[in-house]
Amino acid sequence: MKKLLFKKKKDQGTPSQGLLPIEAVPDISPQDRGSTSSTKKIPPQSPVTPWKLFLLFAQITTVTLGGGYVIVPVMGGALEKKGWMGEERFYDIFARAQLFPGPFALSTALLVGAELCGFWGAFAAFWAVLLPPFVVIVGVSKLLLTYQEVPQVQAFLQGAGAVVPGVIAAMIWKNLKRFPWRIHRLIALGSLTVLLILLPAYSIYLLLGALPLLYWWEGLWKSSK
Amino acid sequence: MEIFEVALTFLQIGLISLGGGWSTVGIIRNAVVPRWIDEKGFRELIAIAQSTPGPVALNAATMIGWYHGGWLSAIIATLSVVTIPVLFVTIVLLLSRRFTLASSRLNQTLKTTSLAMMLMTGWVLRPTTLDPILLSYALITFWVSAFTKINPLWAILGAGVVNIFVRYLR
Repeated sequence: MKKLLFKKKKDQGTPSQGLLPIEAVPDISPQDRGSTSSTKKIPPQSPVTPWKLFLLFAQITTVTLGGGYVIVPVMGGALEKKGWMGEERFYDIFARAQLFPGPFALSTALLVGAELCGFWGAFAAFWAVLLPPFVVIVGVSKLLLTYQEVPQVQAFLQGAGAVVPGVIAAMIWKNLKRFPWRIHRLIALGSLTVLLILLPAYSIYLLLGALPLLYWWEGLWKSSK
Repeated sequence: MEIFEVALTFLQIGLISLGGGWSTVGIIRNAVVPRWIDEKGFRELIAIAQSTPGPVALNAATMIGWYHGGWLSAIIATLSVVTIPVLFVTIVLLLSRRFTLASSRLNQTLKTTSLAMMLMTGWVLRPTTLDPILLSYALITFWVSAFTKINPLWAILGAGVVNIFVRYLR
């Protein structure tokens, strides 16, 4: 199965074309990748099975705080250490996973699982990404609900909630800096953003409509050059 | 029944959750505020979702489900938000012999779209308070996340802890 699935590796575009090569994690920048790429071949210490894959990924998603950009580099490092997959191949898959909707930690894990052990590998990866955070979240939510009247808990939540605009602003800042600006993209970005802000109730339909339109718009400008 | 509403809402969110968690947060917010949670509650929830293990958007879905209706809602919301992404991966894996997904044109389309989503997220979650202390937390966090390599998680937890003391000093 896996041979069929990943035959077209060459056509997948370079890793640096990844959707958002952006955020805080230095490990996923192309320079770093170059130095750790598949030049060093570590022999497999033990063959990979869906169950072992589940354990490895579940361990990672239990302890890595801070979302996909933290999970992905840890995953890549662990897979290389185990000798299951070279970093270069892993970041090829990561670049590809960013084209899918959904949390890219999940799509990356699914694609890696499918490549390593076919269907059951993807199955194991799916539950390894979903289960540990779920248990932690429900636990934390229960605790917070129980102690929500405690003034310290309220103060903590007020402080933690207040930083959210800062986190988002930083994310926007980094993305604006790396965006490949052209005048037609500025027009597209500006109009879509304004529409999304003005019509919050229709955001999902707006986006579904915008995707083919933007694709056409992008092609229009490429062909005219 | 309400549980179907939860499932349908998060299925739709899963469909357009492009480009990482923070692009999706704005869409989630538009879908659930004020129906299931108020503005202030949503911001606290996002802060917690960012400081617990796992992808932010996934965590947010689980938490909203849980606050809305306990275990069943939490499970339904979590599974719904990943249903379409998983279908996408499956279909592409099955078809990838015949055509390839990645092109720079598609890539650029997704980049533009997800940046617009992120800008919208920034707009809907803009600071609503005039309290200088709370605003300073946001400013410091912006600086830490934009110009240093420190995980923003520490800014979130730090602001929470600092605020406990600040409240006692006032």
